[in-house]
Order: sequence, then C-alpha cells, then structure tokens
Amino acid sequence: MGCNLDKLTSFKDNCGFGLVAHLKNKATHQNLEDAITSLERMMHRGAVAADGKSGDGSGLLLSMPDRFMRKVALENGVDLPNLYAVAFVFAKDDAQFDIFRHYCEKNDLRVVLNREVPIDTNALGKQALSILPKMLQIFVVPSSIVSSKRFDAMMYLARKEAEHHLKDAEDFYVPTFSSKVIAYKGLVMPTTIKQFYLDLNDEDFAISFALFHQRFSTNTLPKWRLAQPFRGIAHNGEINSIEANRFNVEVKTETIKSEVFTDEELARIFPILQNVGSDSTSLDNMFEFLIVNGMDFFKAARAMVPAPWQNSPYMDSELRAYYEYSAIRFEAWDGPAAVSLTDGRYIGCLIDRNGLRPSKYFITKDERLFITSEYGTVLIEDDQIIDRGRLQSGEMIAMDLKHGKILKNTDINNYLKSTQNYEKWLSKNVKYLLEFVDQTFVNLDDYKFENVSKRQKYANITYETIDQMIIPMATDGKEPTGSMGDDTPLACFSSKQRNFTDYFRQKFAQVTNPPIDPYREKIVMSLNTGIGNTYNILEESEVNSRRIKLVSPILMQEKYEAILSFGDSNHARYDAYFKNQTFSTTFKSNLEKALEDLYAKVKDAVVNNGVKVIVLDDRAVSSEFKIIPIAMAVGYVNNHLKIDSLRSKVSIIAVTSEIYDPHSSAVLFAFGTSLIYPYMLFASIVSYNERKNLSQYELQHKLKNSAKALGAGILKIMSKMGISTMASYRNSSLFDIVGLSDDICKACFPHASNDLSGLTFADIEAKIDTIHHQAFFDDKTMFPLEMGGFYKYTDGGEYHDYGPAITKAMHDKNAVGNENVSDFNELKKLIEGRDKKFIRDFFELKSDKKAIAIADVEPKEEIFKRFASAAMSCGSISIEAHEAIAVAMNTIGAQSNCGEGGEDAARFNTLKNSKIKQVASGRFGVTPAYLVNCEELQIKLAQGAKPGEGGQLPGSKVTGMIAKLRHTTPGVTLISPPPHHDIYSIEDLAQLIFDLKQINPKATVAVKLVSSIGVGTIAAGVAKAYADKIIISGSDGGTGAAPLTSIKHTGNPWEMGLSEAHNALKANHLRGMVHLQTDGGLKTGLDVIKAAMLGAESYAFGTSALTLLGCKILRICHTNKCSVGVATQDEDLRAKFTGSVERLIAYFNFLAEDTREILASLGYSKLEDIVGRSDLLSVIDDEFAKKFDFQNILRRLDGVDTCQVSRNEPYDKNEQSHDLVQQVLSTIENPTKPVEIFSTITNLNRSFGTLTSGEIARRYGDAGLPEGTITFNLKGVSGQSFGAFLSKGITLNLDGVANDYVGKGMNGGKIVIKPHLQGSEYTGGGNTCLYGATGGKLYVRASVGERFAVRNSGCVAVVEGTGDSACEYMTGGIVVILGKTGINFGAGMTGGLAFIYDKNREFIDHMNQELIEALRIDTDDTELERIYLQKTLKDYVNETESEQAKMILENFRAEIRNFWMVKPKDMKVLPLNPDQGD
Amino acid sequence: MLNFTKMDRNNPSKRGVMDRIKDFKEVYNVFDKNKASEQAERCIGCGDPYCHTKCPLHNIIPAWLKQTAENDLELAFNISNETSPFPEILGRICPQEVLCEGDCSLNDTHGAITIGAIETHISETGFDNGLVPKFSKNKIGKKVAVVGSGPAGISAATFLLRAGVDVDMFERAPRGGGLLTYGIPGFKLDKHRVERRIDWLKEAGMNFFANCEIGKDKSFDELVSNYDSVFIGIGATKGKYPNISGESNSNVYLAMQFLTGIQERNFGEKISTLVNVKDKNVVVIGGGDTAMDCVRTSVREGANSVKCLYRRDEANMPGSKKEVQNAKEEGVEFVFNVSPLSIDSNGVNLVKTEMSQPDESGRCSVVEVSGSEFIENADIVILALGFEQELPDFLKKANLELDKWNGIKVDAVSKTSNPKVYAGGDSVRGADLAVRAAADGKLAAQTMLMEFSKNK
Repeated sequence: MGCNLDKLTSFKDNCGFGLVAHLKNKATHQNLEDAITSLERMMHRGAVAADGKSGDGSGLLLSMPDRFMRKVALENGVDLPNLYAVAFVFAKDDAQFDIFRHYCEKNDLRVVLNREVPIDTNALGKQALSILPKMLQIFVVPSSIVSSKRFDAMMYLARKEAEHHLKDAEDFYVPTFSSKVIAYKGLVMPTTIKQFYLDLNDEDFAISFALFHQRFSTNTLPKWRLAQPFRGIAHNGEINSIEANRFNVEVKTETIKSEVFTDEELARIFPILQNVGSDSTSLDNMFEFLIVNGMDFFKAARAMVPAPWQNSPYMDSELRAYYEYSAIRFEAWDGPAAVSLTDGRYIGCLIDRNGLRPSKYFITKDERLFITSEYGTVLIEDDQIIDRGRLQSGEMIAMDLKHGKILKNTDINNYLKSTQNYEKWLSKNVKYLLEFVDQTFVNLDDYKFENVSKRQKYANITYETIDQMIIPMATDGKEPTGSMGDDTPLACFSSKQRNFTDYFRQKFAQVTNPPIDPYREKIVMSLNTGIGNTYNILEESEVNSRRIKLVSPILMQEKYEAILSFGDSNHARYDAYFKNQTFSTTFKSNLEKALEDLYAKVKDAVVNNGVKVIVLDDRAVSSEFKIIPIAMAVGYVNNHLKIDSLRSKVSIIAVTSEIYDPHSSAVLFAFGTSLIYPYMLFASIVSYNERKNLSQYELQHKLKNSAKALGAGILKIMSKMGISTMASYRNSSLFDIVGLSDDICKACFPHASNDLSGLTFADIEAKIDTIHHQAFFDDKTMFPLEMGGFYKYTDGGEYHDYGPAITKAMHDKNAVGNENVSDFNELKKLIEGRDKKFIRDFFELKSDKKAIAIADVEPKEEIFKRFASAAMSCGSISIEAHEAIAVAMNTIGAQSNCGEGGEDAARFNTLKNSKIKQVASGRFGVTPAYLVNCEELQIKLAQGAKPGEGGQLPGSKVTGMIAKLRHTTPGVTLISPPPHHDIYSIEDLAQLIFDLKQINPKATVAVKLVSSIGVGTIAAGVAKAYADKIIISGSDGGTGAAPLTSIKHTGNPWEMGLSEAHNALKANHLRGMVHLQTDGGLKTGLDVIKAAMLGAESYAFGTSALTLLGCKILRICHTNKCSVGVATQDEDLRAKFTGSVERLIAYFNFLAEDTREILASLGYSKLEDIVGRSDLLSVIDDEFAKKFDFQNILRRLDGVDTCQVSRNEPYDKNEQSHDLVQQVLSTIENPTKPVEIFSTITNLNRSFGTLTSGEIARRYGDAGLPEGTITFNLKGVSGQSFGAFLSKGITLNLDGVANDYVGKGMNGGKIVIKPHLQGSEYTGGGNTCLYGATGGKLYVRASVGERFAVRNSGCVAVVEGTGDSACEYMTGGIVVILGKTGINFGAGMTGGLAFIYDKNREFIDHMNQELIEALRIDTDDTELERIYLQKTLKDYVNETESEQAKMILENFRAEIRNFWMVKPKDMKVLPLNPDQGD
Repeated sequence: MLNFTKMDRNNPSKRGVMDRIKDFKEVYNVFDKNKASEQAERCIGCGDPYCHTKCPLHNIIPAWLKQTAENDLELAFNISNETSPFPEILGRICPQEVLCEGDCSLNDTHGAITIGAIETHISETGFDNGLVPKFSKNKIGKKVAVVGSGPAGISAATFLLRAGVDVDMFERAPRGGGLLTYGIPGFKLDKHRVERRIDWLKEAGMNFFANCEIGKDKSFDELVSNYDSVFIGIGATKGKYPNISGESNSNVYLAMQFLTGIQERNFGEKISTLVNVKDKNVVVIGGGDTAMDCVRTSVREGANSVKCLYRRDEANMPGSKKEVQNAKEEGVEFVFNVSPLSIDSNGVNLVKTEMSQPDESGRCSVVEVSGSEFIENADIVILALGFEQELPDFLKKANLELDKWNGIKVDAVSKTSNPKVYAGGDSVRGADLAVRAAADGKLAAQTMLMEFSKNK
C-alpha cells in the first residue's frame, strides 16, 4: 500500500509444461531423458534473461528415484530402510538447515543423511549464480510408531513449521519433502538442467513419471524458489481470481477440522498458503493441503478447477450435482490454467473451463503417456504413437500408476459423480430461493417513498443518471452504450459530488491472462450465489450442503422478504441456520467511529446471537441521519470479520440506495457482499414512470429489465478479468483504489491495489455532510434533482476536458481561411488554467538549467517524429477523416495509425498510407499486404475506453467499402472478441510478435496496454516477449462504442501507468530494449513535456485529432449518425465532413512549437534529454495537492531512461525459414516456374511459411502468386503458427501433425496436414487454427483444437473434428467438419457457412443457437449446397486420402442425410440489435 | 431522438400576412404536441450541449427536448421552469439564432432544433394542462425589495420566492413587466403572458407596488434599511441619438417613445406620446430587433410606406433573421449600406457605405462612399439606435459605484458596491437581451440566498 515500489518488481508467469509417465509405473532413465528433451524443445515458451543463460526457471517433479537414492545413501554409509523420505532444501546457510532439521526431529522424523546435492555451477548464468542457494537433500526416516503411520503428515507438519519459522528468510525453500516425489529445479535453462544437477546424468536415476515446467516470468528478477513444478503441480496460466481464492482459503481455515491432524497440529500448520509466491504457488499450497489431509485426488483437483456446470444443460445431471455440491464448499480458482498434478499415485492433467491453455497428449506403444503444451517435443516415430489427443475445455486426464490405467475425462467424471448421492443431498438441503417466490416485482411497496427525490439526491442520482443509465437499463435490459472517452477528473480530484464507488477503478486482463466474452461464451459464466456459512472443506457430508441458492445476486422485494423469512422465528420457514439481523448503516457524525460501532454490533450478533446473515440497510437515512458509504461499510465489516476469524460464519446482504449501475454493484461483490438489494434503482424507475400510465405488466417488465441489466453488467465486469463465476469474483478486490488514504484502504479494502493515497475519513465525511445538506435542506422547487454532468457536459456539473469551451477553442479560427498556430492560444489558456483536474496538473516544472534561446532547441521536425495519431479504424471513423489524418501525419513526418479494420490497398505507397497498422482481436482486414505496408505493427491488447472488452461494429456501419476492407458482407454486424484468441498468456504474445516479425521483418512491433496498477509487470513481460515498443494508454481514450460504465470506470490515467511501466522496465533492466509511448487526452506542449518527463518517448493523439477535423464531442459515434461526418459511414452525413489536413497540421505545429518553447525555458535543447526526468517535476504548492501522495508517479529509479536499441530481436532467429526463403526467392521474383521443396520440420520451426509470405506480399500484395507456385513438402511436427499469414501461391503439405495457430491470418495458398493417425478421434492440429484467416484452403485429416476458425472470414477448411467454440465470430469462408465438434459452436457467427457431419445426432446441443441455425441439405432447395460439399470433399480426398471422407463420398446419398448446414439465421437483419454496439 | 436525418427543421406556422397586420396579436402559432415532439426528436443529445452552454440561463435544453419527444410534458415543464423564470416568454422573444439555436450542433449541417418554439410549447401546453410554477411554502424569514418589474426584476423575484424569501416589487409604470410589457409589441409577445407571470408571483405572496417610483414615491434609503437586500433592475430606457443635425426635429421620434405610446394606447392607459403614422411615410433608422418592432408596428398602424435604413449589409444586421423576414413579409422595405448625415423636413440625408476588407481579426468596418449622398424622403423618422442607462435621482444619491455610461457596477455575482444592494439587467449592462437580464436576476437571487444562508 502507499508506496507501490514492490509492484515494479512483481511478476506474473506463464510457460510451457507437461508430463511423462509410464503406465505400469516402470521406472526408467529414459523417462527422465524424455522429460528433459521435452523441456528443451519448449524453450521458446519460456524466457531467457539478459545474461543469455539464466532463464526464468525450469524444473522437474519426479517420482522418487528409489534405486538412485538408495545407492547414494549407501555411498554415504546409510542403508535406507523401507520407509524413507527426502527433503530437497534450498537455504542460505547451515543455520537454516539446522532449523529445518530441528522441526523434523520435533515431529518424530529422524534425519539419517544430509547429502550435498552435486551441482556444476558452470551451467548457470551470472544472475542465477549470484543468488544460488545452498542445497541439501535431507533423508529422513520415521523415529516412532506415530511417525511411521503418519509419515507424510509429519513431513508436511515439519516443513510447514520450518517455513513459518523462516517465513522472512527469502532463501529458505523446500522444493519437495516427500517419500514419493522429488523436485529438481531452479534458475537453469532446460538445456543445462542436466549439466547443473549431476544426479540427473546417473543411469540409475530411474523414474516412472515426471512433471516438467519451463517458466516465462514477466520480470527479470527470477528467484530459485519460483521455478516450477511445485510439490504437487505444474501450472501453465494465471489464476485471475487469486485474491478471492487467498481470501477464501483464510476464511475456510476458520472451520477446518481434519482427520489427519489434530486441531493443535492444524494450528501449527496454518496459514495454508505461503505469504509470498505466485498464484501457482498458492494453488499448489492448497492442493497439497487437501491431499495431505486425505482428500481424494480427483475431488481436490476438480474442486479447485471445475468444469463449467452452471450453464451446461448438456451435462449429465449426476455430474452436475457433484459440481454443484462441490461449489458449496469451494469456489473455482478461475483463469487460464493447464495444470499437471500428482500425489504420487495418480498423475494427471486438467485444463480450465474455458480451454484457454493448450494440453496435448499422446500415448506410445511402450505404454507411456506424454502430455505437453505442444506436440513434437519428444522425437518419437509416428508409428510408435497409438493415441493422440488433447484436452478440451474443462477436461481432465489421468493415470492410476498403481493399477496401470489411463483415466480419461469420462472415467473421472463417472467416478466423481458416483462417490456420493449428491443429487439426493442437494434436493434435501439446498433451498432454491425462486421456489419461495412466485413472482417478482409485483409488490412495489418498498419502492415508494414520500421523499424519494431527497433520497435520490443523497444517493447522487441525478436527472442524467436516470436518463442515461437507469432508464436505458429498464428499457433495454442492458447497460447503455456510449462513445468517445472519459474526460472528467478522477473522483478524488473532483469538486463535485461523486459516488463513493467512483474511487474504484475496474481491473482488466491484458497479456498474461485473457478476458472472456460474457455474451458469446456465456456458457462458462455464472452469477449463481449461495447464502449460508462456510463448512469444513475436508468433510464431505450431507449436512454440508445446506444453502439457500439464487441464480442472481440482485434482490427485489419479494426475494429479499423470502430470504428474511428464513431467519424469522415467527415464520414457518424459520431455520436458525439462516438467522439474520439487520444493521442500519446510518450515523449522525464521526464516520470512523460509526464504522467501529457498526462492526461492534455485527460482531456481537455473530458471536453471541448466532446470526448467519448480516443485512446492512441504509433506509433509515433522514434529515437527521447520514449514510456510511455502503462500499465502505461492507469492506470494513468484511475485513474485520476476517481478522476476528468470524467471516466463515456469515453472508452479507446490502440493502442500499447507492447501488444502481453495474460498476457500483461489482465494487460491493469484490469486497465480500453476497446479495444486493438495490431498492433505489427500482424506486427511481417506479417514480420516473409514475406519470406514464404503464400497465402493471409494463412496469414489472422494466423493473425486471433493470435487474437483468445489472446482472449482465456484472458478468461483463467479471469477464474483463477473465473470471467466470460470482463465487470466484466475490472478495477478489479486483479494483484499483485511487485517491483514498491508506487508512481507509487498510481498514476497509486491504487486498485491493491502491495509489495516490489521499482522502481521509474526515474528507469523506465532509463530502457526506455536503450531500446530506443538499439532499435534505436544499430544495429546488420545480425539479428536485441535480441535472448531472458526469457522462455529458452540463454547466455547473463535472469538469470535462472536452467541454464546449475547449472544443470550440479547437474549432475556432481567428483568421478566416488561414491556419495559424496562434489559433490555439485560447486552447492553451483553457487547458493550462483548468486547475487540478488531472494528475499532471498537480506537477509543475522546475529546471536544473538556465533557459536557452528557442533557436537552440531541436527543430519541430524532430518533434513531429515523436507524434502519432491514436488508432482509429476506417469503419469507426469515416474514410474522409481517416485519410485526412493519414495525409496530415505523413506530411509532417509523424505516424498515423490505421486502427484495425483494413486499409484500401490503393492507399499503400501514397501519402494516405498509415505508417502504423494495427492488429487487434478481430483481425479485420489483417492480410499479408496490410502487414507489410507499414513501419510499425501495433498489437492492441487493450483500449483505454474499454480495456478487457471486445467491440462491435454495428451492421449499419458496415458499408460496401468497409465490408470489402474487412473481408465481410455489407450490413453484417462485426464482433471483435475481448481477447486475442492467440494470446491467452505472455508466451502467446511472444509468439504473435514473432509471427509479425516474420511477415514484416522491417517493421517494429508495438504492444498497446492500458494503464492499471500492475501494468509495469506486464510491460516488463512484453519487453521480454521482444516487443520493440510499448504504448501505455490512459483510461480516457476514446471509442466508437462501449458500455457507459466501462468508459467511466475502467483503467487508470496514463500518468500512473506510464510512470509504473517506465520504472518497472528500469527495475528489470529492460528500459533500454523498448520504446515507450503514451496517449490519453494530451492537448498542449505542456502535456507532451510532462509525458516525456514521466518516461514517454512518443505521444499519440486521438480525440484531439478528430476534434480538429470537426468532431463536436456529440458522443453518438455508436449511432452512425455523426452529424459532422467524422464518425459515420452514412454517405449523406459524410458529405457534411469539413475537416482539413491543414487544420491538423496547424495544430501539430502548435504542439511542436509549444513543446519547443517549454524546452527552451527549461534549458534543454532536445526532447530526448528530458525523457524520464521526473526529477524535473515537483508537486505544486497547494493545500489540496498536499492531501495526495504522488511518490509512485514521480519516482525515478536509476538506469537508462530511453530505448537504446533499434530493435528488440527475438532469441529465436528462425534460421530454417531464412534458408528456405533463399531457396525460393528466385521463384518469387520470377514466378513462372513452380518450385517444390522437401524438408523435415519440428516444433522448433515456428511460423513456417510466414517469412516467405511476407516476401510475396511485399512484391505482389494480396494478389500473391498463382496457386501452387511454391510447394513445401514437410515431414514431422510443425511448430506453432504453421502457415501464419500465408500468401496466395504457397502450398504447405505436412506429413505429420501441427501445433496451435495453424493458418492464423492466412490469406491464400493451401495447407494440407496428414497425420499418421487420422480421423475424428485423433488430433492433427492445435488450438485457434485459422484465427482471422481471410482466404486459402486448410485440410486436416484429423481433428483440431479449441476455437477452430475463430474470426475466419474467407478460408475454406475441411477437418474431421474440432474442440469447443469452433467458428466463433466467423464472418465468412466455409468450414466442413467431418466429425465431432465441441460445445458453443458458432457463437457470434455472423457470416460464412459450415457443414457438419453429425452421425451421432449430438451437434444441435453443441450449437450456440443465438445467431445461427442448422439446416438439412437433402432437399430440392439445397442442391447447390450439396454439390458444393461433394466437390469440396472430392478435392479433400484428393489431397489427404482421408478415409472418413472417402467413406462419405462412397455413400454420399445416404451420408448426406447426416450433414447439417449451419448459417447465420439472417445475414441482413441480425438479432443482435445491429444499431447498437455492446 | 437523433431523428435529424429523417426530419427537417420546421418553424412554427405564422398567421397570414394580411391577417396579422391588422392587429397586435401574436404572429406565431404555438406548436401542437405532435409537432413539438417531432421537432424535439431531432435532437442529438450532444456530449457537449452547446445550446445549453450558450443560453445565458443555462437552460437544460436537451433534457426538456427529450422529455418533449417522449411526451412527458410534466417533466419537461418542470425542468424547463427550473432554470428559467419565464420560459414561455423567452421562447418567444429570445433571438435563438444567436443563442441556443445558433450554437446547436445541427445548425450548420442540418438546421438547428426549433428550441424556442418548443420551449414556448412546453410551458403553454403545460399551463393548459394545469401545470403551474411552484414556490416554496416555507418562508425563510428574509425580505427583499425589487426595484423594477422588467425581466431582471421578475426573474430575481421568482427565484427568491421559490426559496421562501418575501419579495416586495416596485414599479413606476401602472403595469408590471417593464420592457416586456411596454417595449415589445404585442405581435411578438401577448401582454397577458407577462401579466400571468406577475400574477403567479403575487399569488406566491409577492407584494406588487405599481405606479411607485423609487426616489419619488418611496426613498431608496428606506428600502435599504427596511429590507434584507435590494435588487435594482430598472433597465436602460434612454434612447440613443445619432448625433446629426435635425435629430431633434418634431418629426423625429425615439423608438421607445413610439412603441410605448402605442402599447399604452392598446392598454387604454394614459398615453405619454402617441405617434400617428397612419398614411405617412415612415423611416426607421437602425437594424436591431427594436428597429424591427418599430417598422412592424408602423405597418400595423397603417403607415403609407415603411423603410428600414441600416448602415451595414443584411448579413451583418444584429436583429433576428426571423424578425427581418417577418418585416419583409409585412411590406417593409430595407435600405442597406446607408448612413444618415442629417434629418430635415423632407426626410433623411444619407450616404452610401461599404464594408472594409476584414482586418487581422476578421472584422470589417463601415466606410462611407464619398459622393454617394442621397435623400430618403420621410414624414416620420424613428430612431432605433439602441439604449443607454438613465440615471434616476435615487441612484445618484444611493452612492453606488457606476461605470462611465452610468451603468451600475456589479461583481461576478451581481453584488453592487453596497453589500445589501444587487443589480442586474440593462441597468448594469446597457441595452441587452431580456434573457441576460433574466440570468442576472437569477444570479442575484442565488447570491442573496447564499448570503442569507451564511448569515443564518
């Protein structure tokens, strides 16, 4: 808290991982060799430190090499008994080893041998060596009967005690202490792990299984202890809900009783989680705790990483019952996860509900199971492989080493569901609230207040809130859409009344984890909420299933009363188990004391009165009583209940007037609320509609809509962080708190990130006093509410930096016809006089030099080079505006940014060409020619206005031209997914950067991030993924359409993120490797200077550029009705466009000159010289400014402040591709003679064909070469991104299998993959193949992974089976699937066609039926389709010799009946409400 | 909303020319519900509501447009009346084209929203449906004297009464309304509209003292000592002369003499000066709204011919375009680019003018063209060249700080140099718009209320 220095060196990690195991538990040295080879061959998934040797860590978790251990013990004079265990211990010194041994002895474990682990430090990089711990293997045996019976338990106890004792000793770490497994790991590269650990070279070192892991950390300060695998798991991914999980583990701890340990022992064990470490460490700690306490291996695994069950109607009811029961006791550790795990007997692997991490397996003839992130990591001949598959979303696979059995997902599920009679337990003990509520919103008594307007005023409900937020929710059942950016001050700087929840900024996923699409992937999302206490998680029993359950956490009068009735002793339903008590959150004065008093009452009720449900109710507000902000009340009570170990006993319900939009609701849930009764939202709807003569049904419908909209909005906020379920979101603290004092944060929100420590309890109370007075004593006569001004400008309301005066100042010219720098004097005056509205306004310049003459400052041309326009796509803005920006920027030597959405090829090589081409999640118009015609490729990970969300271009904006550029059909709504489906993790980003550097080796690759606390960590990771440039966008960035609360409440100002990224890069010695850019509301030279001092080398301008082209800040971009022709595609409106290139140039002249003037006054001749010089900034001398702590922003660490290299070159030089390009170059240049190349390929050859495609695109554009000009015949296993961005004219024939991202962005050519094991049951390609493809053909004679053909807009593909979410967001092209598809087929599919062979009649259940329909094609009307299919299959057979297709063709008349044709229900009028974005 | 691409801007319909020049009844018809809602639906609801910013009263125009579009008359009425003391009057007389409508985002592309007409519709239809302005019933125990019952005074009184302040209003004329009543002809503003507002104020407890001139019938000191605060809104009624020979001839009149006399006659009150223009050739010098009032009144009074002389071109006329249009329709002839040199019994001696090249700031000045002199014959010459402040005796004695034009000096929140005395409107600004006077009155009221709550 406060000083966020530690955040700069914190980290997130992702990786490559896997396991190898012998089915019959046969120990061999070969197993070890294969595990190490696998690791070596996934080097590209990890990262290498600056010393080129250290790496971020890798390791092996091995079955105990019994023969080896006995041998070495004997060599040391110890003849090991039957029962022994080995502790592998890292420590700083002997004293720490002594302490460890002490606890062993204390727990009846006798140390029989201290073995120094033989190592060769030559294998280490400098960095790793400098922090190398001492290593001992400590052998123990039981020293009493007790310990022989409870050997594992005593080891755990001893280790935990030693860990607690040494919890502050950074170097002390016990990788494993077990009789069954041992870990060898550290800061070594996979290639040198054998060199380092000499043991691993011993032929006697034979193991039956190994888990292996290669780490990619976002920082460069790796630690020995952080290398994986841990004691039971190896994890690839990121746990998004980690804060909630950690909180909940502590809460669960309160009620744990164990059959293995006594309470006294448990006390010695707790806390379960080590207080330092990664999300994976915590996951491992918890898993280990469950296992050591005797929990079933499979139940422990699936309790923590469950399959999606809430919205999975296709799931077996008994299995659902198991998961539902499990969910009462455990919330999901949610987020991308592929986890390998073992307890010594079972070894297995499972992946998250959303299938966001790859896990591929194969089984060999010699009875071994391999699971890895990629195929091809072990060289095994094709004919030795008897099964090849992959895990689908939420699946698990395992081996029982004792009985030598492979347990596939169905086996495991059958086991789980049949261990208890879960269905019966649930039927008996779970009360579904809905059963007790006949109708909702029939009774409206609670929403009628005599003084409703006073209460509304107190809750800061203005006319605008009602008009812009509440009524749209009631009308449409969803949160309203807005456009453009947020130009208002942070709540803490505002002089206006703001909601308390405005201090909270939503967090979002970027790079290290993906957000989810809550609309198209609804199947994994759930708001399911239960009321009741937390049970002993170690006990599986019927009584532990007691719960009241609700499908939504939003209450209305009927549900609220029903819940209360359970706790009402006079009611027939009374059940002491749900006893409740209501606490008023009102107070007269002294806010801090009021919180203490409130908690004292709550505590008393819980401890002495057995209260299980705490209701915090603010309805007693009056002219006398004020309200404690509900978020504060909830946070305080939640936190203190936990401190007092009472949290497990109760659920919290908030009855509050302050909650009326999704953002404010989410804040309450994130800090522990179970249910919200937002009565004032409903009251506002009722009172607004009073005059409208609505029928009861109509009003009821509106009220229901508003509750629905809240629910949908909350899902969206959860999904931004990649969290699927309410249970995992509750207590997650996933907000940045900006501007509240450390005291408040510590008392109420201790787990949230906070910065700009500022307003105290007294300040908040003063604000409460003001609003209380206004509400109850300050009457307006005609219209009682304030008008607002938060979303749109209103005089007297919140400040807007693009308010009418400033916008006019940008429009107004002093001289008619002439453009003049002096035109912007008024703008400058207004901006510089705005007074403490934004963070930078709190800083003034203080130079250490004397002023110089302006002539001595570098010319404006040098400064122009640092200017860019912010990404705005042709589509979101009109072609006229788009081209004007390009011409202006090119003319002055700056860069314009195309945005994602394609660019007319006619603009390439002209003044209209955008130098920056963007690659975003929709991959619209991202073709080889697009990618090669630029200086910079910008990967947009997040957008300031709506980080963590996708977008939608409404059908009305998709004109002929736009459709052409985006390779789609006019009038079809285009959806951009929230995540890049090829980036779920940092190593994925590294792969995309690698892809882009292949297609266009000359371009720099930039990655755009949005400011948020923790962005420094991400930035460091991005630099390590070989980006050349990082952009930190402010949360005030604009958008063509986004939900209103996203625009207003997500992300932080750029000042915070920029400074954090700059310093984090410095702390990790990466600043010199990358260039930093920022954007967000920059308007004058002073803004540029301040951005430079905080670390930015270049600056982008979005809204300002549009404003100069005539934008009037109408905020209607999403309606396609921009009256000035800037943000519309309507031809009539575009005719009104009056923007001019000259005007833009005049503005940039002003900016550059203004910048030069300030530089001169500071005595600096170059902008470069002040980059990162935050020491030239000081906080203004001002009473209000003194409230805030700006140290995190003004921090200046030692080190270089600017990029020192021209390019951040990847470690992998892709030599094979360069060689091959040389071989085909003459054909490319003179394509008359086709050329055929024969070669082998391995998983180390990534992005195959991409370099060649770039060479073609540079010469011929997307027209490419004639089909079949260049053919590569390959044998082996291809690396990732096989055929990415393939150009026309290239054919790739692969005799083998491929990994993830086959044909990503392919524009033409042909990819044919022929695995040895063919058909639907086997896998031939990985995840996310054909993502964003715009043309070409892909044939795979086996099945492919998750999200096949996602965002395909032109490729024709035939495969024999797919994973989940195939054809998601597809807008064109044709996909034929000759076997099983996973679930959620065709979600968001607005164009293209698919043919599915569905012999087993299960496809319909697997469809996401929102937008698509399945039709039969054996009718007269569908002759054309039939013939097309037949022709396609013939071609497919020709290329692949597929047996399945041959069979179908041979029996075509019969088999045609098994095909479905899938098409969007209506290509023109989509049920998406095409007029609005989402 | 956002219907501007499908629906054009329509002005409210006008009475036929032959019909309307026969009387002093209002020319414009009030929008009906459908028309108002259809026109309101064109509104964008801009992120930056320029109309609202430009409006001196900062009326929440987009809000009541939306409510009109959605047929929630009561809400539109309440929001409209919250910020404006008499929206139905300003809807009629404001020069919207230079204020809200001029700044409307749609003005330069699709035609502005008909804000004024809708504003009038909301209150008039509201009144028809029984809606009335509301005032506080809880008195706060403060008493304010308002001197002058023009737009500034009515506005101050309205906002004070809403907050529970007692108000006594003093007016030297027999009726209230000041310029609204005596300066603006009935064909632009029916006098009952003004009366109605004053009646509501009376109903809310205001004491209205007509025919009571401060300094004569009651001393200003008395006000200052007997009231918690005093508001002065006495306007700027003194007509300006062009400073040429013959300007005091007997056939030369000031616009206000002319207009007031006609109004007094229409009321049947004692007439101060009645200028009979029937069958005469009338020339009006000036190009503002008052000049338009004079020419159009002359038409209604049966003048033989009516000419308006203005020294710049039509595009640079300060008056409302719609008033110029109305005058043209009613038969008024315009002579542009002429400047008066002298007046004699034949008429006015004029010289032609032209506009200079724009200077650096883009402004053009007027240059006389030598040798282009000519005579415009006229029986009656009316001077409509603007107004300046009078300096009544009581003000001289009151010891308030004045500016060099005798305007009362006030600070940014309408306070004069005497902490108990506030002022606003034309008596502060010189001749200006009624809406600015109303805004001044409102600001003064708000400042007083702030002071009252401070000193509580």
